[in-house]
This record gives sequence, structure tokens and C-alpha cells, in this order.
Amino acid sequence: MTVEQEHGLETLEINVNVGPQHPATHGVFRMVLTVDGERVVDLVPHIGYLHRGAEKLSENLDYRQAIGLQDRTEYLAAFNAELCYVMAVEKLAGLEVPERAEYIRVILAELNRITSHYMFMGAFATDIGVFGTAFTYGFREREYIQDLFEEVSGDRMMYAYFRPGGVAWDVPDNFKERVRWVCRQTRVGISDIDSLLTSNEVFVTRTRGIGAISPQQAIDYGLSGPVLRACGLRVDLRREEPYSIYDRFDFDVPTGEHGDSFDRYRVRLEEMRQSVRIVEQAVDQMPDSGPILPEKLPRRLRCPPGEVYMRAENPRGEYGIYLVSKGGDKPYRLKIRSPSYCNLMALKEMTVGHYVADAVVILGSIDIVLGEVDR
Amino acid sequence: MIGDNVWLDAFVRLLAVLGLAILVVLILTYVERKFVGRIQMRLGPMRTGPYGILQSIADTVKLVVKEDLRPASADRWVYELAPIAAFVPAFAVLVALPFTDSWGVRVLNLGLFYVVAVSALSVLGYIMAGWASDNKYALLGAMRSAAQLISYEIPVVLALLALAMVAGSLDLVKIVEAQGRVPFIVWQPLGFFIFMAGMLAETSRRPFDVPSAESEIVGGPWIEYSGIRWSILFAFTEYTTMFGLSVFGALIFLGGWNWPLGLELGWWWQLLLIFVKATSLIIVTLWMSATFPRLRIDQLMGFCWKLLLPMAFLQVFLNGLLLVYKWPDWTLLLTSGGALVFTAFLIYDATRVKAPVRATARGVTS
Amino acid sequence: MIGVLKAMATTMRTMLRKPVTIQYPTVHREIPERNKGFPLLLWDFEVDEPYCTGCHACERACPVECMTVIMKDNPNFAEEKSKRRKIVDEFWIDYGRCMRCGICVEVCNFEAIAMNNSWTAQEQSRFDRSELVLDLDQLLAQSKAGKIHPWVAP
Repeated sequence: MTVEQEHGLETLEINVNVGPQHPATHGVFRMVLTVDGERVVDLVPHIGYLHRGAEKLSENLDYRQAIGLQDRTEYLAAFNAELCYVMAVEKLAGLEVPERAEYIRVILAELNRITSHYMFMGAFATDIGVFGTAFTYGFREREYIQDLFEEVSGDRMMYAYFRPGGVAWDVPDNFKERVRWVCRQTRVGISDIDSLLTSNEVFVTRTRGIGAISPQQAIDYGLSGPVLRACGLRVDLRREEPYSIYDRFDFDVPTGEHGDSFDRYRVRLEEMRQSVRIVEQAVDQMPDSGPILPEKLPRRLRCPPGEVYMRAENPRGEYGIYLVSKGGDKPYRLKIRSPSYCNLMALKEMTVGHYVADAVVILGSIDIVLGEVDR
Repeated sequence: MIGDNVWLDAFVRLLAVLGLAILVVLILTYVERKFVGRIQMRLGPMRTGPYGILQSIADTVKLVVKEDLRPASADRWVYELAPIAAFVPAFAVLVALPFTDSWGVRVLNLGLFYVVAVSALSVLGYIMAGWASDNKYALLGAMRSAAQLISYEIPVVLALLALAMVAGSLDLVKIVEAQGRVPFIVWQPLGFFIFMAGMLAETSRRPFDVPSAESEIVGGPWIEYSGIRWSILFAFTEYTTMFGLSVFGALIFLGGWNWPLGLELGWWWQLLLIFVKATSLIIVTLWMSATFPRLRIDQLMGFCWKLLLPMAFLQVFLNGLLLVYKWPDWTLLLTSGGALVFTAFLIYDATRVKAPVRATARGVTS
Repeated sequence: MIGVLKAMATTMRTMLRKPVTIQYPTVHREIPERNKGFPLLLWDFEVDEPYCTGCHACERACPVECMTVIMKDNPNFAEEKSKRRKIVDEFWIDYGRCMRCGICVEVCNFEAIAMNNSWTAQEQSRFDRSELVLDLDQLLAQSKAGKIHPWVAP
């Protein structure tokens, strides 16, 4: 019997608006919680505050110009988004990517995965309340990696470096040493965050059992990425449908067990270590010189008419590009399947029944990027 | 006795302690920002004055010139008196603390009792602030804050009671003198642990800062306050309480001005000892604040009532056994230390990562 | 309990490290050579005119259409001082729209435009948005003063 029936009391459910401006994380996202006492009874997410028309704009830009737009859609893992888009165009146009360019792309994409997860660690810890300490640890390492990105592509976040067929220009001469140095530093950063947070009892009590979702529900909602792997399903697109040269590397795919926030955090932490492994192997295998673009690349790239769907394993999940071309140098339709948008569908399922204070923690653990959700 | 007038003497000493409290608050705002900044590998304030020393003064000036807002529908007198109601008990704690073996504002023979009782009064200030703001979320934050403060008083009182039983007196000077050979922290680590948890909760610092920081959605009982009024409620009260309780903790647990060689060497050595010990307790508090995430309100209450309270009873029981059966002091170490280890085990077990993440090899699909 | 102590040990360790932040206005970080700041035009010191001929290639390639170019007949060509028939007359770049992608540099046939890889490109704050539209003289100023060492992709 509920409180009302037992004592003849009338209770009210309040609507709490967790407004478009959050303290310090995630971007402009609004959720309206209906709370009964302290428990969440219902959740309605409102999105669209960051819609910038990326898909429509791409219809007026040719294949090289649209790369900048892909960066800005998924700004925290821009190399991964660029990689997926560029691979889609290559598949449609039938381009062959030279070896050296493939290795460069994989190295940069995996390093970007590491920076994205560092950002997650910082933002997640801030949601939980550590404010500052884990944030700065993650960001210090991220700065080293971003310095490397700046030396290669010229920008720290919006690179526009990949091109259909390869990369825009060659990497500097000291690239391999720099990457190895960055790998060494990153291991220090990962272990710092690990020792600060993983066995910290307060952190564990705040995240264990919060936002759990069962594997069947995860499949039904179409989740992907670390959220899905934390439920125990070992699904990683780099293994299921290896794209680029991922089948040449030896790495593990971490999974969790309970599907709660703590497992998602641990899966991402372990993924960072596996990414470092991939980068080290790639640096060892990379040819020291070679072309970075195919020889017969036309000045204006034109794709034959047709359509293609290309998917890649982004740090947040499965990123998909559906490209329809009518034969010109601009796409007819470019649709982005963003993982954050699909993962957000399960937010209500995960949050109902928990406390208000946990709603923010669960949102943080799904790790969304509003640029992707709203495009 | 200054001048032969009791009132003049009291007045002068009060002024001295008030000055000390204000100075300590100013220093602590700066120290906290620098210290927490260093933990986060950044520099902290650097621009206001050399190495940012004038930061506290800059903050104070800024807060004083801010507009003093008051919601139109707020209960006027309650709203305006709430900061004072929160600050005065924090300051009143400093009145009973003996800083050396012969100097304190007033050395009461019920010193321990007085400190505990008076520091509990600041709850009233928070409730007044939350109620008078005429804001649903302020009231919610104030209720949570009141629940936290009142709950954490109880294990602390019991732990201090246990300590007073062994020391044989409530008079702070006598308690310090009883620690001539060995400070009480050595015999009663469990009591010290309970006291530290209580101190973190009394000053609303992480991990117990549900009232203080953004309670995930809104600001707690002080949302409607601005300017110097907010500063009194928040910064002054918090830092004065932290300072007062640190000196108190140094006196009763760490040996005060007596250990190692207080009574022999004179007042300057005693002052130095007190200063060093209180500073170390403050640094430990700041350090813990910077390291821990925030506990949720229900976990916080569970920690207090389900863990600290039984442990506090246990400590009282053990101390009682010691007194009744006249066991030597070191048995207390065994029992209290054993209880502390057991507490640690309970915390560890409750939060242990039971099923580790499996990073399995390639080729094995689930 | 152990985890708590481990976390505290970590923070103590990091406290003893050197801080990683630098005080920006007094100290500037070193920018790598390839940094893509805002684009600017280069000055040809041998012939004493801009390299840019106003051919509109970058204007067409820009994804956000932030440039406006006007071309004119080169008076220096008529006087046999230079090989360029046409020269740029007016050139505006709206830094508020530019997305710093570098495509204009890639398509330029004359290597006349380059990405500014110095701190000046990062300190372009203005109080009024219309001041962000730079004209030809402002774009050439840094190159004329010799203060730019642009990086050109091989």
C-alpha cells in the first residue's frame, strides 16, 4: 500500500525542470522530471536546442567542404566522425586509400577516442561532485594529445584533416616519437584517474546499481557503444565488421556485467587502455614513407549515383553515415545516425525509479554530445 | 585579568578572539583556493597581489559593494537575521577553547559540553534562511541541511562522551593535561574517526556537502542571499566552524598544547603546538574535500545512523569497560583500533566492486 | 576505506607536482608551425605587390562563403614590372564566418593566402562584430611587416 492509501494522505507529484543549462556538462539539454517525494516517476527529454542543420547544409557543400561540418557535429571525437564520413565517400566513389594514410587515420582516430573518454571522466566526476580534481587530471592528458593533433593537422578540435582517399597532407617528421611519448604520458593519466576514482568508496556508492539496464532492453532500444558493452554484450564494430585496417591489430573488447553507471565508467576506462595498445601497434607497423592520397585523384571529386551506409565505432557508439548521390560533386542526401541520439532514448527507462540526484549521474554516464543529438 | 574589571577583561579577550577568527577566515579562503588548486595541478589565484595574497581582501571588497537583495515576499526579519543566527554559534565555540594552559576567553569547567551544545545551534540559522527565502528549493535544501547537521551531532556527542569518560572531566584544560604522555588519538582512533566525519558534516564539506554546493539542481538554503550577507552565512560560518572544530580536535585528540612538552616549555611552545596541530587538521579537511565526490542524501543519512552511531556506542561501551575493570590504557587501543578496522571492513565490503570488468581475448564471443 | 586512502594518496601525489597551467597574458604558449589561425594574404617583396591575383578560386571553395574578391587589371603589368596580369583590387574576409578549415589555402594556385600561425590570429577579439570583416590592407599588414612565417603543405 502506498503512503496515500495507508494514511489517507494526499501526495503531489512535482515537475522538476532540469533546464537547458546544466552546471558544467553536456550542453543544452532539457529534461523534465516528474518526482514523487524523491523518486523519479517520469522523464521527458527535450532536445533540439543545438540543431544547426548539418544534414541540410551538407547538400550544398561538396565532399571536401563537408568535412568541416562533420567535425562540428561530433566535436569531442571529430576524427572518428570524419573517418566514418570519408570512408562512406570512398566506398561510394570506389577510392583506394594508401597504406600510410590508413595508419595515420587509425592512429589519430584512436587518440581521439582517448581524448573523448578523458572528457567523459572529467564531466562524469563533476556530475558526481568531485568537481575539479578528476577533471583537471583528464584534461592535462588531453592537452598533450591535443598538442599532437595541432602539430599534425593545425587545429586542436575541428581538424578537417581527413580527405576522401587519405589525409590532406603528410605528418611531421617527428610524428612517431611524439606519438610514443604521448602514449607513455597517457598511461600515467589513466592510472591517476583509476586510482582516484575506481576504488573510491564514495564514487562507487554513487554509481553502482544506478541506471541499470538489461541486455535485452539494450538491444530493444538500439543502444550501442560502451553503454551496450556494459550490459555484458561484446559488440564492437571494429570486430564485427572491421573497417579500415582494424583487423591487423590485437586488442580486447572490455565488457561490464550489470549495465549500470559504474560498469559504463569501467568499460570506458578499459577502452582507453586498449586504444593505447592499438596506437602503439599502429605506430610500429606504419610505413615510414609513402603516398597519402591516391595518385589519380580528380580535382573535384564526383561520386557515381548510388547510396551507401557506412558505420564506424565511435567513442559513443555506432556512428553511421547514409549517403545518397546523384552523380555530382555534392551529396543528394547525407543522413547521420548519431549514437548519442539513439542512446538517449533509453534515458527514461534507466532513470525511472531512482532518486533525483541520480538522474544527472545517469545522464552523465551515457556520455552524450549535444552536437550529435541535435546535428 | 586585564584591568581589574571583569567586563573589560571579557571584552578585550572577545575582541582578540574575534580578530583571530576574522583573520583566520581571510587566510583560509586564500589557502583553500591555493591548496585545492595545487591538488588539481593548477596555480590558484596569482594576479591579486604577489602570488594572489590579496585575493581574500578583493573578495571581501567585492561582496561588500554588491547589491543587497531581498525577495519581496520574504519574511523580512527572519531573512535578515538568519546569517547572524548561523554565524554566532560558530564564533561562540571559540570562546571556550583554551589556547594555552592559562589563556582562553573563559575557561569553563563544562568546556566540552558547552562546545558541543553551542555548535549545534547553527542549525537554526540554516532553517531560518531556508524558510525566510520563500522559495520551494531553498526550503528543501534547508531541510536536508538540518537533517544532516542534527544527525551527525549524535555520534559525535557519543564519541566525545566516551573520551570525557576516560579523561575524567569535561573541563578542556584538564582533558589536555590528561594527555601528557600519550594523546588520545592513539588510544581511541575510532573516536577520532567519528569526530572527523562529524566535523566534515558540520561544516558541510565534501563528501557531505549536499546543502552547500549545487545540490544537483538548485543552490540550497542560500539561493536568495547575495553580497556580504551570503558571505557571512557561507564563508564565515563555514571557515570559523572549521577553525573552531580543528582547534577543538587538536585539543582533545591530538594532545593540545600539552604533548610533547607543553607544560614544561612555556606558552610560546604551547601556542606553536596548537597552531601546528590545528593547521594539520584543517589541511586534512581540505584535502578530503578536494578528493571525494558528494554522497547522496540518503547514503549520507545511512552512513550516519547505520554505521557511525553503532560505532559510537561501541566506543562508549569499550571505554566503560576500561573504567569499570581498571584495565590499562593499551587495551583500549586493541579494542578501539580493532573496531576501527572492522568499520573499515564494513565500508569496504559494502562498496566493493564485486564483479570485475572482464577484458577478454579476441575471438570469444558471448 | 582503502579506496578512500588510495584516492587521498593520489591527490597528495599530484599536489606535489608542478602545476601545468601558465599565466596567459604574461606568458604565451608556443604554437606549432601548422596551426590554422585565420587566413591572411601574403606580400610579394620582390615585386612589391600582393601575390593574390583575385582569381576567385578560394572564394568559390570556401564552405561558408566568407570571402569577397574583386579583381582588377594590374597597373604594374602594364609598366612591365610584374608578371601578373590581374591583381586583387578588394578582398574581404569575414573572420566571424570563417571556419578555419584551410581549404582556401589548398586551392590557391599562387600560394597567395596562408593560415596565420601566430598569436595574432588567436587574439582577434573585437567589441563590434562588423570590425571582424577585414579588408585588403588589414589582411596584408602582417605579411608586409614581415611578421609571418606561414607553413605551406608540400
